[in-house]
Amino acid sequence: MKGWNGKVLEIDLTTQTHKSYPLDMQMAQQFVGGRGLGARLLWDLVGPDVDPLSPENVLIITNGPLTGTGYQTSNRFSVTTKSPLTGTVLDANSGGFWGMQFKKTGYDVLIVRGKSQKPVWLEIKNSELTFHDASELWGMRVYALTEKLGQNNNKRNVLCIGPAGENLSRIAAIMNDRERAAARGGPGAVMGSKNLKAIVVEGSQRPEIDDKERFKFMLYETRKLLAASPLTSQALPEFGTVVLMNIMNNIGALATRNHQQTQFEGAEAISGEELTEKYLVKNAACWACPIGCTRISKTDKVEGEGPEFETTWAFGAQCGVDNLPAIIEVNSLCNDLGLDTISAGSTIACAMELSEKGYLDSDLRFGRADLLARCVEDMAYRRDLGAEMADGSLRLATKYGHPELSMSAKGMEFPAYDPRGMQGQGLLYATSNRGGCHMRGNMVGLEVLGLPKLIDRFQVQGKSSFVILHQNVSAAIDSLVVCKFTNMGVADEYFARVLSAVTGIQYSTGDMTRVGERVWNLERLYNLREGFTAKDDTLPARLLQDAPTVGPSKGWVVKLEPMLKEYYRGRGWDEYGVPKPEKLEALGLANL
Amino acid sequence: MPNIKLFASLRKVTGTKELSITGASAGEVISELVKRHPDLAAHLLENGQIRPHVIITINGHPATDMDTLVTEQDQIAIFPPIAGGQGEYL
Repeated sequence: MKGWNGKVLEIDLTTQTHKSYPLDMQMAQQFVGGRGLGARLLWDLVGPDVDPLSPENVLIITNGPLTGTGYQTSNRFSVTTKSPLTGTVLDANSGGFWGMQFKKTGYDVLIVRGKSQKPVWLEIKNSELTFHDASELWGMRVYALTEKLGQNNNKRNVLCIGPAGENLSRIAAIMNDRERAAARGGPGAVMGSKNLKAIVVEGSQRPEIDDKERFKFMLYETRKLLAASPLTSQALPEFGTVVLMNIMNNIGALATRNHQQTQFEGAEAISGEELTEKYLVKNAACWACPIGCTRISKTDKVEGEGPEFETTWAFGAQCGVDNLPAIIEVNSLCNDLGLDTISAGSTIACAMELSEKGYLDSDLRFGRADLLARCVEDMAYRRDLGAEMADGSLRLATKYGHPELSMSAKGMEFPAYDPRGMQGQGLLYATSNRGGCHMRGNMVGLEVLGLPKLIDRFQVQGKSSFVILHQNVSAAIDSLVVCKFTNMGVADEYFARVLSAVTGIQYSTGDMTRVGERVWNLERLYNLREGFTAKDDTLPARLLQDAPTVGPSKGWVVKLEPMLKEYYRGRGWDEYGVPKPEKLEALGLANL
Repeated sequence: MPNIKLFASLRKVTGTKELSITGASAGEVISELVKRHPDLAAHLLENGQIRPHVIITINGHPATDMDTLVTEQDQIAIFPPIAGGQGEYL
């Protein structure tokens, strides 16, 4: 079988030892790579008795059979662990160059166990591993560290944590290639808990491709498909992901001031149009990506990648802030400190509401752009109120007696889309295996953008079937691992053909969504084993009971219960949200 | 006259973010808009119809019927195609 390298590198930081062994190819064929393979390995390695921040938790880094082949966006890698933020299974994936370079070292999987006594960093050069003392690097921020360790996009790539990860912030990201992030769910804290500061990769091994001629034609065909899609050829390169700001605001589904409203009067000032006109320096792209959605923006104080839509929303509309330079600057600061921007912004918004309502004694108020940078610094270094905010909004709001003010599911903060104006998005959030997340399916495409066809965003009956399909597709794409934006121009079934050409295994129509369904059910089993139940498939009371009083979503709440019942049935789960034995049998999961 | 809001690349084409245009229905307003800014035709129309994936909303709700009557209290928002094409060329 081609595509995969067929090798796992396992490192024990406690004993400073390592071993390399063959990848279980039957497992690889079933779960492909990335998120799927990571979840399958985590199932065996980390049980319910393990504290996410203890040495017994593991950090699993996976690429996929397409990674590094040169297929469009085949640059990504996935980090899998038990989340310190949610306690659920977690995977977070990231683009840039690091994933491609890791594949070139000759491995498909890196498993990091235990805890080093002293800070350490790892260097993997063409299958050779070296442990380095990181005592002098501990405390360094991401940008300086990345440069110091010799980042060179196509030759040597740095993955690391910043102060937030060192200080075990449960919303700490793992950063790579300076400004890319495996951000959500706190993987940076897991790395910090192991005293692991960085992993540097350098390789020269090219993955083998089974049918080079077919693959070459697919590269050509995919380039054409991406060029034919207005999103991947025009909107994303021209305006970046922030193009969504005005659209979501226009339809009344832009969460505002900790989800107290669904439209933000300052949306125009923080829109993609504004960013492009006043702050854009140039576009940039990840390795092997023709889309180039990355924006290099500049203010008087900073110049760097981003901000993406979710970041601009989290520190913008969600905090009532319409100051775009302040948002650009706090985005850069989060990257340098190694923090998840969605959770950081939304946790600040939660603190703002707690303060405005008198539950928390602080000077935080909606609209206070001047306090954003201080908050983020305090979170990363666990200073003052930042010590409490560093663990996310649910722990903060619970401490001050109002957990209902945390806008999260299973403890993970939501992104920008207010589900009262998008019923499918509400079901997606409630059932997401890693908590409130927009990357577990793309209901924005269906309910807002009309991709591939527009469906009624307020429709309840029958909505679950769309959610299930998109969750499965999303899990499949995350297992390849490629960028989800490719799916805006390339149909998911096309990936089966690419996978067949690369690996030599015949993946047929339907096989990719079947892989996705298998991964989704495995993640569900993991969470059930951790003690999660159907009661956790829910949303904050605000979204279920408080309807917006103005705007296009006026009068709507998320009608979760009927959608959830339909969803469980559609998934082949029982009324308690447990996969039925026949479903597990059909997916090849009966032995778990 | 309904208020028209234009977004993304449509602003560059017309040189404006917002304008008012006479018309009794959404379709009439769009026709008048294209008459006033002929370069918009390539962005909004295909064979005389609204191009697939152009997003038009009236007061934040999708304008699925171009015969929908509009008044001067209504706000029409127009976004260029920012999604589409999936699977159409396979």
